[in-house]
Amino acid sequence: MSSEATAAGAAEHAHDDHGHGHHGPKWLAHHFDTPAQQFDAAKLGMWVFLAQELLFFSGLFVAYGVYRSWYPEMFFAASHQLDKIMGGTNTIVLLFSSFTAAMAVRSSQLGKQKATGNYLLITILCACGFLVIKYFEYTHKFHAGLLPGRFFHPHVEHLVAGAPALPPNTGSFFGIYFMMTGIHGVHVIIGIGILIWIWLRNNRGEFSKEYFTPVDIAALYWHLVDLVWIYLFPLLYLV
Amino acid sequence: MATADTHHAHKDDGAVHAHISSTGFYVAVFMALIALTILTVGQSYVDLGRLNLVVVILIATTKASLVVSFFMHLRYDNKFNALIFVSCIFFIGVFFAYTLNDTERRGELDQDQNVKVLPSTGENAPGGFAPQEAAAAGAGGAHPGGGEHPETPGKQGESLPAPKGH
Repeated sequence: MSSEATAAGAAEHAHDDHGHGHHGPKWLAHHFDTPAQQFDAAKLGMWVFLAQELLFFSGLFVAYGVYRSWYPEMFFAASHQLDKIMGGTNTIVLLFSSFTAAMAVRSSQLGKQKATGNYLLITILCACGFLVIKYFEYTHKFHAGLLPGRFFHPHVEHLVAGAPALPPNTGSFFGIYFMMTGIHGVHVIIGIGILIWIWLRNNRGEFSKEYFTPVDIAALYWHLVDLVWIYLFPLLYLV
Repeated sequence: MATADTHHAHKDDGAVHAHISSTGFYVAVFMALIALTILTVGQSYVDLGRLNLVVVILIATTKASLVVSFFMHLRYDNKFNALIFVSCIFFIGVFFAYTLNDTERRGELDQDQNVKVLPSTGENAPGGFAPQEAAAAGAGGAHPGGGEHPETPGKQGESLPAPKGH
């Protein structure tokens, strides 16, 4: 490349240097021909990543399936110790945040910077709300001794009254519960980080009707977090 | 800006022409998701026995399809992205099928006899370690001259009682 440039005349050299600039807008990476190509490539990459995320979570779901079919009574008894109302509220909070994330993308597609920022902010607040509710649920489990594996030492006075008795191996249910909701919670925290970053970039006016890809991609990630919870909630809380 | 031209424009001008759904449509999808959540919580108070799991998964899958198709725009997206997603779901199915095909057919240890039995029928489970006595009896059967063990493998299999309470 440099030898070619030296061989070429000075005028052409200068022209080549600015070559990246004139073939498209600033946000268009020089290895893409068109904005559409860049957009499609970003989407393709994100969908491959999301497929990987689903396969990653599927390991936990398979563990759930195996243990559930081995110990159905234990799963039935243990799920009565989970709070349906808190879990249901969290489901609605997360669905609403998914809705606002979709609205943020829509606003961005229409070039409405302020609305995009507001929708992103609501999404972030909902995500934090989800974690707060999760915190109360976890604290209750710690108090009641509903912990994974050998740490499982239930305190009868803290358990749900009238629920079926917990068999001694219930620790394996809570192992699965904490693993699934915990890894999901890590995704929520990462999602909050990503959404804050996108919110800041939106405030700087980096996005437009022509270039909203980062908003779209971040929202896809957030929808995935919602998607996993859509299965986690009924399988753990409702059985 | 004529909407009729956008399809042709997509191929020509190289600009991004993503589908933009209306606010009303997103609200409708959200409402459907909330309705399905209320439905699944309500259903949990009614015991449908073995159907519980089926109903729960059906409702969750309906919700997931709404999110994937409309919030994640897969309905209007490049078909190749949909192919990636569908093949991912397919391989999750393979993962479940092969794992459960193993774990559902494993024998359980019958404490009284110290042998692995199939929980459903009470017969000796195939594979794994043969119980000590049966292995020795099997060796005896191969050499008719041995004859030190009074029980043949066939007899022993018949004498196994079906386990209770599995």
